[in-house]
Amino acid sequence: MFKKKDLLLIIPFLILGVCLLFWTQKSHDAGIAVIEENGSEIARYDLATQTQTEVIDIGGDYHVKLLLEPGKISFQSSDCPDQICVRTGKISSPGQVAVCLPAKVVVRIIGKNSQVDGMTG
Amino acid sequence: MKDLNNISKNTKDVAFIGLLGALALVLSGLESLIPPIPMLPPGAKLGLSNIVTMYAAGSVGLIPALCIALLKGLFAGMTRGSVALMMSTAGGLASTFVIWLLLRIKSQPFGYIGLGVAGALTHNGAQLCVAALLTTPAVVFYIPWLILFGIGTGIITGLVLRIILPILGRIHT
Repeated sequence: MFKKKDLLLIIPFLILGVCLLFWTQKSHDAGIAVIEENGSEIARYDLATQTQTEVIDIGGDYHVKLLLEPGKISFQSSDCPDQICVRTGKISSPGQVAVCLPAKVVVRIIGKNSQVDGMTG
Repeated sequence: MKDLNNISKNTKDVAFIGLLGALALVLSGLESLIPPIPMLPPGAKLGLSNIVTMYAAGSVGLIPALCIALLKGLFAGMTRGSVALMMSTAGGLASTFVIWLLLRIKSQPFGYIGLGVAGALTHNGAQLCVAALLTTPAVVFYIPWLILFGIGTGIITGLVLRIILPILGRIHT
C-alpha cells in the first residue's frame, strides 16, 4: 500500500506547497484589490483606505456583484452554476484570489509595495 | 457462473468498462452533494471518481481509462456547465495518463498512496492550466493550496483504491 518512494514524491511537494504558501501569504496587511474581467484589469481599490461598504456591479452574462468593505472584498452574488466565487468568501491579504470562472472575473489582492505585482505563466 | 466463463474476454471487458464508467459518474455525482468546507480552497473536491480512472488505467488499459475520464468530463459538462466540462476533462485525462505511465514503470516504485498523490497533483495542475487560460495567469496564487490539498486528497484516494481493489478485482476476472 505504502512504499518508501511515495515519501520521495510527497515530501518535496509538501515542502514546496508550504513554502509557496508562506511566500504568497506572508503579508497580512490589507492590500489592493485588483478586479479583472476577461483577463484585463477593470478596476482597483485600496482596501486599507476603504471606509464604506459598497456593491460593485460588474454585470455581464452572470450579473456578478462584488461587495467591497473596509479591508476586504468578496463576491456578493453571481448567477454562475457552481457559486465557487461566492463560497470563496471575503479576501483581504495580498496573494489571495477569488475567481468566477464562468464569468471570467478575477479579484486578486496585491501588496502595496510588493516587488512582484504580476506573473505570467 | 459457468455461462459467464464462456463469454469472450472482450465482451467481459466492454461490460466492465461500462461498469467503471457508471461508477465514476455516480461517485462524481455523490461528491457534488458534499457541502464545501470553508477552510479549503474554492472548488476543491475529493476527486473520488479519480479512484475509478486510476483503477481503470491499471486494469483495462490506457484507452478505456481515458474514455472513462472523457465520459466523466462530459457528465460534469451536462450537470455543471462548460467550464466544469473543460476543467474536469483536462484534469481527468492528464491524471489518468500520468497514473498509467507510473504503472508502466517495471520496478513499481510507488505504492497506492504515491499513485494517488501523483494523480491528484496532475489533476490539479491540469485544471489550473485550464483556469489560467480561461481567466488570467493570476490564478497561479492557488498553486500552494492546490499542492497541499492535492497531497491530502491523493492520500485519501490512494487508500480508498487499496480498499476497493480486491472488490473490483473479484468482479473483473
